[in-house]
Amino acid sequence: MSYRIPMGPYHPALEEPYKLDLVCEGETVSDAKLNIGFNFRGIEQLAETRNFIQVVALMERVCGICSNIHTLSICQAMETVLDLEIPPRALYIRTIMAELERLHSHVLWAGIAGKLIGFKTMFMTCFAVREQVMDILEAISGNRVNYAMNRLGGVNRDITDPDAILKMVDALEHSIVKSVIPIFTTSRSTLSRCTGVGVLTREQALACGAVGPTARASGLAQDIRKAAPYAAYAEMEFDVPVQTSGDVYARLLVRALEIIESCKILRRALQKLPAGEIHTKSEEFEFPTGRGFSRVEAPRGEVFYSVRWDEDNYNPTRVHVRTPTYANMPAVRYMVRGARLADVPLIQASIDPCYSCTDR
Amino acid sequence: MSALETIPAELGIEEAWAQQGGTNWIASQAIDVRKLAELMKARKARFISITTIQIPDEEDIVMDYHWDLDGELLTFEVPVQDKKMPSIIDLCEAADWIEREIHEHYAIEFSGRDYEPLLLRAGDTPGVNLREED
Repeated sequence: MSYRIPMGPYHPALEEPYKLDLVCEGETVSDAKLNIGFNFRGIEQLAETRNFIQVVALMERVCGICSNIHTLSICQAMETVLDLEIPPRALYIRTIMAELERLHSHVLWAGIAGKLIGFKTMFMTCFAVREQVMDILEAISGNRVNYAMNRLGGVNRDITDPDAILKMVDALEHSIVKSVIPIFTTSRSTLSRCTGVGVLTREQALACGAVGPTARASGLAQDIRKAAPYAAYAEMEFDVPVQTSGDVYARLLVRALEIIESCKILRRALQKLPAGEIHTKSEEFEFPTGRGFSRVEAPRGEVFYSVRWDEDNYNPTRVHVRTPTYANMPAVRYMVRGARLADVPLIQASIDPCYSCTDR
Repeated sequence: MSALETIPAELGIEEAWAQQGGTNWIASQAIDVRKLAELMKARKARFISITTIQIPDEEDIVMDYHWDLDGELLTFEVPVQDKKMPSIIDLCEAADWIEREIHEHYAIEFSGRDYEPLLLRAGDTPGVNLREED
């Protein structure tokens, strides 16, 4: 006999509100329905009432983890409409900020995964490691969450002490390579909770339009930083970690390896940071009628922005945002089918979901 | 001829690709979105999203279907007739949520699909245009 179990919208296993309606046969989940919308703020509609300065600040509030990525995306889309050339130093700073954000987001996720596995020591270890990145972000921007770094035509603040960031990168990489990765990959309790659990096949990932580490853990080797480079990524050398087993362990491993690749990118960007301006000289912009699109690789996967501007308007006519969790969430339905009920919190967390982003 | 160049002919449209705003762009009234979804599925393209735009000072609505084909961003602009569009979710399940969202925001009816309760908003009134609410 099947029975239904609601999980959420407010539940200890969920960091933010959403709802899973689980259909179970005994302890086994046979199907699930997903409900979102608990954080809907109408940000796309609000964007139509903001000018080119205000809209950047507004889009920064789409997400509390990857706030920088959203300002980068909206700026890139608007810069495409204007056909604006960005100073090389600004492009490098944008790359550095994007990678710092990826670092803190991936380490945060590793901590939450540790907590959900029942490995509280790992949770504390990861949060201590993450704090080093947060300190650097605060030193660069003055803020720990909404950094306000990106602006139309470049960035607002310079990076004045690359050596301090390089030092942090070395320390963080040491912690990840020497403790976090070995423990996650050799601990029996971690392996038993993650291996073969919450499998998403390559075909299912493609059908759902999955992106980022979720897609790459299912064998889809797509990374916007490589496929359609933006900022200074064309000048960076890094690998795209891909796994094929599609389970929670594969998603964990992809993120862990991406931390190492982010460290590689950061080192190169900081060592080759070109001199020069950090934004365009002109601060007045006249938008023609046109559309601009922007795709960036956020920690959770591809963020897509579509902007339409009409001549003589102060505000955009349309801003559309497709966040990675919006694309990855429907895949959870496949992941939980056949899983044990007790594994559902970890499985849903393995896509590193962000409902604030999803609902906008 | 590249894989990209054959797409207009396969869709049976005369318009050619244009580079616009960082995407490969085709705008045509003759695009059959179901044929498009079938073609993209056959090419193993990844569905990205649909952007719906209400043209300023007009009632007209256009929809941009976005796909990723081997890292290339493809955008197909299709005008909406009488606030009705064929649904593509049987061919591309990734389009489910965005069709529901467009239905809620712009009151566009997607034929050939059922609607569950509202995706993003509270309440039980489907097809309400958010912009036209008081």
